Amino acid sequence: MFVEQSMSKNVIAIGPEAGILEAKDVMAEHNIRHLPVVDKDDKLLGVITDRDVRSAMPSIFVDSCNIEEEKERLSKLKVKDVMTKDVVTISPLYTLQDALLLMQKTRFGAFPVVDEDRKLKGIISIRDLMRAFINVLGLGEPGILVGILVENRLGQMKRIVDTITEEHVSFGSILVARYWDEGKRAVFPYLLTNNVSKVKKKLESSGFELLNPMEWYLDQLPRHKTD
Amino acid sequence: MKKTGFLYDDRYLLHDTGPYHPERPERLKMIRKGLEEAGLLPMLTPIKASRAQQKWIEAVHNIKYILRFEESCLYGLTEMDYPDNQMCGASYEIALLAAGGILDTIKLMMEGKIDNAFCAVRPPGHHAEIDKSMGFCYFNNAAVAAKYLQSEWNIRKVAIIDFDVHHGNGTQHIFERDPSVFYYSIHEHPSFAFPGTGREFEKGTDAGLGYTLNTPVLPGQGDAEYKKLMERDLFPAIDGFSPEVILLSTGFDAHVDDDMSGINLSTEGYSWIIGRMVELADKYSDGRLISILEGGYCLPRLPELGKNHVEMLMGKK
Repeated sequence: MFVEQSMSKNVIAIGPEAGILEAKDVMAEHNIRHLPVVDKDDKLLGVITDRDVRSAMPSIFVDSCNIEEEKERLSKLKVKDVMTKDVVTISPLYTLQDALLLMQKTRFGAFPVVDEDRKLKGIISIRDLMRAFINVLGLGEPGILVGILVENRLGQMKRIVDTITEEHVSFGSILVARYWDEGKRAVFPYLLTNNVSKVKKKLESSGFELLNPMEWYLDQLPRHKTD
Repeated sequence: MKKTGFLYDDRYLLHDTGPYHPERPERLKMIRKGLEEAGLLPMLTPIKASRAQQKWIEAVHNIKYILRFEESCLYGLTEMDYPDNQMCGASYEIALLAAGGILDTIKLMMEGKIDNAFCAVRPPGHHAEIDKSMGFCYFNNAAVAAKYLQSEWNIRKVAIIDFDVHHGNGTQHIFERDPSVFYYSIHEHPSFAFPGTGREFEKGTDAGLGYTLNTPVLPGQGDAEYKKLMERDLFPAIDGFSPEVILLSTGFDAHVDDDMSGINLSTEGYSWIIGRMVELADKYSDGRLISILEGGYCLPRLPELGKNHVEMLMGKK
């Protein structure tokens, strides 16, 4: 689960001397929001985002200024004038979990991936991480999510797996999440079957409490510590 | 009254899915029993199945997949791709008879010998992908039917309306780039039901954009929600498409007593749906309507659901 395997390797990058209008066009053409800025040796100098470009543009609410003058000013603005220089970078050996947590912490949407010499190796964005976690959740495979509430003690998962396996059903993924009640866990097996009713009955008759996925949301933890 | 065909063949019972499997031969027996006890059988045009020519299966499925299915049966394997797909030595032949029977039924309709028909077939088809069996399905019967109509009968525009409680992933994927086949499905929301596809934003791709339409319904909903959503989504869309033939993927598993889903349609709710389908066929496709059985697993309810379904097709109610 290293970033190296999930990042985009054919990175669209730009030089520091390019105009910001060019940067805007490149981003629009490739449908991307982050452009790493590199020197001739591919060393990372900064990142320019669509927001950096937009901030440099005149506001649509100010139309009194001289348009020609404004065009002149914009055409002279270079990538190096508006880019972020103090970029958070990560190494190719960061894990996907590292990247995900760092993204939550920094609130950045993408990280350039660089080697020890600060040479650009790739870029990993929130979209790459989403793709990876969609895979982990097994969303691409045909199946159905079942919710089970269990006591938070050793051996529960084995019982669940045994019960479901006895019904000759295979697993796409299993998610274990915290529950409201201390001492309880919510277990969500994603089962690769159309025949879920017999599995549910078996689980219930084995003493498990089923959770209604309609009444559940993944984000049961407080969003902020102050909540 | 309309002249309605009824495709049923005792050989459909030979597709053996083993003990405890919900997709079992008794399903068809119960449906047939419902028609028999209501005295409907003499009023229907009986249709027996013949084997589909391989070229029609190949119009939908990858040849490697077809051979893999045949060889798996010959070899005596009892499942394919997923443990859900239980089968026996005869399953390949029976799947050919299911598709073939539907093609025979279509031929009768196109020759004007019947107006519409109900095809009580096994195994079902709408989950079957081009190269993969899934959700008890091996050959995508509705998709084969649509291809046959287009190639053999010069029908340009076919609508497939799927009200099985599960999304017909196979049918959608087969036609999602094809603007000549409109696929509509109403089903239990994919976050709560098999197979996890059929979200509202899946609307077809490339040239087929706008020719796939999905209505996911949350668990716990029933007749009122189905009526509201079909009126909102299906009827305007079908009006824009004007199909020359309508195929139905009919699943009785959205019934409140069917434990394969959390959707609570009543028996009357089902009659409303099929009644509206007959109206759509009268309005757009000269009455041409072929209903193809997919799911529906609550054995005690199948006689009445089958009976009502056929009565609505006949215009008896």
